[in-house]
Amino acid sequence: MRDKTLSPLDKTAAVIVTFNRSAKLAKVIDALQRQTRRPEVILVVDNASTDDTQDMVIARAREDLSIRYLRLPENVGGAGGFHAGLKAAYEHGAHYFWVSDDDAYPEPDAIEKLLHAIRQFEAENQWRPSFAASRVEWIDGSLCEMNTPRPVWDWPRFVRPNAAWALVDSASFVSLLIPRWAVEAHGLPIADYFIWFDDAEYTRRLSRSYPGIFVPESRVIHDTPDNRGVNFGLVNEKSLWKFRYGARNEASWRRREGGLMSVLSYAYGVHQQMKGANVPGKMRREIYASIFKGLGFRPEIKTV
Amino acid sequence: MNNLQASISLDQNVADYINQEAEKVISIYRRLYPSRELRFVFREGKNPIFGEAIVTEGKAALHPGQLGADYLGQMTVPSPQGDGLSVTVTTTIPRLPLPNEYRQTVAPWAPQRPLKPVFRLFPMLYEQIRYLAEMLRKKRSDGRHMITALPLGKGSGLFSAPGAPANDKRPAVLIGMHWLEVGGAEKLAFDTIRWAHEAGLRVFVVAGIPELQRLQGQLPDSPDITFLRLDRYLPHHLWPRYIEDLIRAENIRLIHIHHCTPLYDALPQVRSMTPWVKVIDSTHIVEYADGGYPRISGVWSNFIDLHHVISGELVDYYRNTFHVVGKVRLGRMLDRDKDMQAMPEFNMQATQKSLHISFIGRLYYQKRPVIVMEAFRRLTRWAVQNNVELKASIVGEGPFLTTLQGLARRYELQDQITFLPADTDVPALLEKTDIMLLPSNNEGLALVCYEAIKHGCIPVSTDVGSQYEIVPPDLLVPLPPRATVRQILSIVDQLWRDPAFLARQKQELLKALSKISGDMTAREVLMPIYRDAARNEG
Repeated sequence: MRDKTLSPLDKTAAVIVTFNRSAKLAKVIDALQRQTRRPEVILVVDNASTDDTQDMVIARAREDLSIRYLRLPENVGGAGGFHAGLKAAYEHGAHYFWVSDDDAYPEPDAIEKLLHAIRQFEAENQWRPSFAASRVEWIDGSLCEMNTPRPVWDWPRFVRPNAAWALVDSASFVSLLIPRWAVEAHGLPIADYFIWFDDAEYTRRLSRSYPGIFVPESRVIHDTPDNRGVNFGLVNEKSLWKFRYGARNEASWRRREGGLMSVLSYAYGVHQQMKGANVPGKMRREIYASIFKGLGFRPEIKTV
Repeated sequence: MNNLQASISLDQNVADYINQEAEKVISIYRRLYPSRELRFVFREGKNPIFGEAIVTEGKAALHPGQLGADYLGQMTVPSPQGDGLSVTVTTTIPRLPLPNEYRQTVAPWAPQRPLKPVFRLFPMLYEQIRYLAEMLRKKRSDGRHMITALPLGKGSGLFSAPGAPANDKRPAVLIGMHWLEVGGAEKLAFDTIRWAHEAGLRVFVVAGIPELQRLQGQLPDSPDITFLRLDRYLPHHLWPRYIEDLIRAENIRLIHIHHCTPLYDALPQVRSMTPWVKVIDSTHIVEYADGGYPRISGVWSNFIDLHHVISGELVDYYRNTFHVVGKVRLGRMLDRDKDMQAMPEFNMQATQKSLHISFIGRLYYQKRPVIVMEAFRRLTRWAVQNNVELKASIVGEGPFLTTLQGLARRYELQDQITFLPADTDVPALLEKTDIMLLPSNNEGLALVCYEAIKHGCIPVSTDVGSQYEIVPPDLLVPLPPRATVRQILSIVDQLWRDPAFLARQKQELLKALSKISGDMTAREVLMPIYRDAARNEG
């Protein structure tokens, strides 16, 4: 398809962050190699995996020169991985960065559709979306709960029958296309978040320039064990550590963007969710402590 | 012949030399400015190595400094098209080297002035201070040098990329060397010149560092091989344009870079103006202070089609630092026919009555010759205690030679140590040697270790670079100077005293050699590329 576009430059780098999931990662690489619009660079960011990820990626990279391998010295979480990967891809000179998890398989035309949408939107409406997000589906074809983008109040402003691209200001790092200018303007994801809320913080930061767009015709299958959203009512012993990061990170972001009242409002919402699900008191206290910690947590935003 | 000779009465050798050099200068600038009138102002150089060319596009006004005591003369080469535009090149022509300069251009080494008394009294203390300073430099170098690959835009498609022009000349390769002097990297570069020639390519050779280029006589004597003296007469900022013109005029299909910085700097021109040319490079050693040539190569990796490396350490370096995997190829500096046929018999036997230990290498700090001397001093004492007749050989030349000879006198080791020149028959020496010491502060994968094992000599080396690939762990010594000497002494003692240890090390060496022999050789990696280029295939 021929895009309307404001710039003829469209070098694209795929950035995949992985940790100990070589079989799924191999399927992601397969899916990328089948793309109708192949990224010029496939950068695999390995969070110091201890399985056979390194051997697998190196074997694939020997066959496919577009594959590059960035092994981090230690596991710095998804946030650290996307920070390092986006930085390396930016230095590589790409104009678009397609970022995604190691368990999300893009349909063959997913990247082409994202590129088409973001460039077409720009050319037709003279606004530059700061990102374009795919429709993320779970393995049964239903919407993947945890990857639901957040619309802005005037989300249907440019929605047309053949271009149903809603405006959104928050999306996850699962098949997300980010233009180079947005990274130049707003910097990199916050590595110190380690995990959770890094994508929400980053896309909301990018949206300060202009919201992103949701591109439903670009589809990706997220192969997670179950299809659950982010709700503090779901916290249990096994997932507590992640929820703690989430609570700290969002509290920190709210303090930065909305001040103390925003944090209190957030804390009340979290309280309501945990109370509704009857989360044990010990875990609740841990979550509150993390929110409190978030008040003093002021990670640096690094620019490129 | 030019008009210089006609106007000056000179010794014929000098006249011939100046004429030849002037012809080289004219040839370089005629290629760079094919349609211009060329005006040359020649001066006699004060050094024997490099000219100091200044290029002015247009008729340059001369100043008194150019017409001083060293003024040789001037000449004008008319424009073939007579269009009147001029280029003025003022350059010195290096004087002929003196015999002693031809042997050694670097001044003899001397300790840093404030530390001279320290070296005089305690050479190893000086060595320790220098080691600590080097380590500090290494620590501080982190972050000082660029370690990300330069981006290379793929372009928009709106502007068509230039295509290869029709050229009826036989395909050629441009091989860029560091210099044409003694060294491991240079050995490979000379091999590649021969292989490229064998593959049917015409070969153009350039060097990045001006030197006497003492080994240029080793270039194959063939009209297909041309050594261009850009190192002497072309300022670096003009290399990219010159290289582009050379590529177009001589049908160069391939560029092979061996540690040649100005050729790396010419890559943007090559990639944008002559994108049909394939670019490969070979690298050897990660310098601890700044990464050295592998770092430079990695920074340019988006402009390079294939990186040939000689060790596993370098494969890891490109992957870990620049995230490059697929276009890095390991090709060992071994000859499958000559080096990998029969496994050697080792010369050394336990408790033998005499022991021959050698050091082979350029006498520069990198090889730590002072530590070699200290090791020999201690080993001499050890030999006396154990009633062993010790013989030591030091092969090599360099700024440390005088210092080592002085230390040998001071330690009263003249009877034990023989100093041999760099052109010594090393294989013959190794055949007679039991142990070879290599206490360098930095190595890639030292070629001399292959040589040593091949000729039945046991290498003892510092644990640096990729030395662990060829030297077993028990024969590797630590880097701090005192520990290096201590451990060398301990290893030699154990090799001599303990037959089981000696047998195990021999086995380990053979195992390492055999493992390395399983990898591709440099020739096996590079020859198909040369052949493709000779067939005009990318």
